[in-house]
Amino acid sequence: MRKIIKPFYHIIFIAFCIGLIVHFNSCKKPVPVDKTKYGKIRFEFVHYWGDDPIVYDTMIYTNAAANELMINEIQYFISNVTLHSSFGARMIDNWVDIYYIDKDIPSTLTWNVFDRIAVGDYQSLSFVFGIPAAKNIPYMYVNPPERDMFWPIFLGGQNGGFHYMKINGKWLELPENQVTPFDFHLGVGQIYAGGVVLVDSITGFVQNHFTVEFPNLNFKIQEDKTTVIEIAMDVSEWFKNPHDFDLETWGGYIMQNQDAMHIACQNGAHAFSVKSINIQ
Amino acid sequence: MKRLRLLLLPLIWMVAFLGCKPEDPIIIPIPSATLYPMEIPLGFPNKLNIPADNPITVEGALLGRYLFYDGRLSGRTHPDSLMSCATCHVQSRSFSTGIDNPRFPGGHTFGLNGEYTPHYTMPLVNLIFNSNGYLWNGMIHETNATFYQNDPRYHRRNIESLTWMGIVAPHEMAGDVDKTVELIASISMYPPMFTAAFGTPDVTYERISWAIAQFIRTLISGDNKFDKYLRGEYQMTTSELNGFVLFVTEEGADCFHCHGGDGNPLFTTNLYYNNATDNTFGDPRDRYAITGKPTDIGAYKAPTLRNIFSTAPYMRDGRFQTVDEVIDFYSHHLVWSPYVHPLMHKINEDGAQLLPFEKNDLKNFLLLLQDTTFLTNPAFSNPRPDDHFFQADPFVVNKVRK
Repeated sequence: MRKIIKPFYHIIFIAFCIGLIVHFNSCKKPVPVDKTKYGKIRFEFVHYWGDDPIVYDTMIYTNAAANELMINEIQYFISNVTLHSSFGARMIDNWVDIYYIDKDIPSTLTWNVFDRIAVGDYQSLSFVFGIPAAKNIPYMYVNPPERDMFWPIFLGGQNGGFHYMKINGKWLELPENQVTPFDFHLGVGQIYAGGVVLVDSITGFVQNHFTVEFPNLNFKIQEDKTTVIEIAMDVSEWFKNPHDFDLETWGGYIMQNQDAMHIACQNGAHAFSVKSINIQ
Repeated sequence: MKRLRLLLLPLIWMVAFLGCKPEDPIIIPIPSATLYPMEIPLGFPNKLNIPADNPITVEGALLGRYLFYDGRLSGRTHPDSLMSCATCHVQSRSFSTGIDNPRFPGGHTFGLNGEYTPHYTMPLVNLIFNSNGYLWNGMIHETNATFYQNDPRYHRRNIESLTWMGIVAPHEMAGDVDKTVELIASISMYPPMFTAAFGTPDVTYERISWAIAQFIRTLISGDNKFDKYLRGEYQMTTSELNGFVLFVTEEGADCFHCHGGDGNPLFTTNLYYNNATDNTFGDPRDRYAITGKPTDIGAYKAPTLRNIFSTAPYMRDGRFQTVDEVIDFYSHHLVWSPYVHPLMHKINEDGAQLLPFEKNDLKNFLLLLQDTTFLTNPAFSNPRPDDHFFQADPFVVNKVRK
């Protein structure tokens, strides 16, 4: 009888050990941020339409409002990039916190962040799409390509500063399917008295920037290594969820149309995602 | 045999290392030259396009100014064969040619052998602030790795390249670089100037091109009424202000996306656009010829609007004679094609549809961009107006400037 039972105890003991290992691993406490050791971080930016990388300059896409369109240019700013740990630390000293991305300038698609990042476990990442008012200062960029994003002073007041984003493309305008340019430009909006779109009628300005958050990313910064975070913009999202953005309704230019910019920015909250995180 | 191998091995390593030695840095002998005091106007780029091997010095820019105006740059001395940069780039016309140029009727330049230039002259203004290519199609660019006659001196990378191109181009001087160098070296006033600029009296092609490029980089226009407005020194009239609003708003004329404005007082992005002038294409010198991208078919650099009233005729082919014609074109006569740049968002309305009073306001705003300080700056003028070898500004021919 004992000869039979003995191996059974062994199995129970092994299972118990495995259980312990699994238990302790799954409940492992996050490594606190250590501000005496540092790693690096690199952001890589990619642009998608739905599940696939964008094919530019080709009339192959249909948005949620059934506009057939092509994408030619994508240029935008993100700012206030922040790493969050479970200890509440908002990480980085001396962060160069406004970054320009241009799909036609490959060097902008990879951001090797200069700052050293304290090692540890981080829970999430956030950034501001566009530039907050306090930082959106005219003439802060005098050199191209950022300079060419300037937002005319009449349309942004003292904090007009710079476009948040330019997506330039063309769509097949109904009823004749005429190829028509659209300039999906976002920045500070204006309130016009009586709906009269004249600069003299502006009674106020609207900050359209918004915060993008990636909760529960749970990534590490390791000493002397680089954590590479790939951030994707799905351009199709700018045209849907919660609003179908219909180019037939809003037309080819919206810098002086706060209603259009407002719904575009509500849609844009879903445009960004983290595709991958790797440590190199 | 083994000993031979032991001897050969270090030798091979030495050869390998010598072969991989990086090129020695170019050292420009300017022992006594004075760095040029560069002043950057408000709102202008602080990134300057100055190659590391050609810093701007007072002496170098002065030498460049002489060479810029000296008709013997063509390598010839006969009065009919004199040509320099200043022959086509006239100060009073913002260093473009001028539609009223007596030598080039209509402003279309031609070379010493009578061949017309493929495109009309671009003004030489604020080029130091541009790192995005020169000429209408941007063929001169710092990433360009091709050489004329496989000679690295004759690159196509920067303003320096304009000198050899001007000398050898059949539609310009139709000359020979060596003859130019030989002739310049034989003129007694130059060797001391080369010594002042570069440390020794040697006249070489590189030094000629360096000096001319230095002078061109000093041609900064930053003192028109709009600059004064930005500095708080000028109050716009109601019409000018209305024109400014039209210039920088999408609901208006929307000029600013390509031509700058309050956030870009160069009044050009120095980028390339198909601006809806045509629906048939085939120019072998458009932007497409450089990039091979179909979206660049029929695209050309957006020229600066500074001194725009001095730089007629307009567009690369000089098709418009006046600013009024250009405003009319952008207002009512845009031409649709598949290659129109997406920023031309009013293409299907034929243009911005400006009303007559709006056109007038826009024109009044553009007049603010005239920089008379630049157009008459003695430091940029012909240094030897009494010397027949020097190419006089035909519009100020009787004025003597020092």
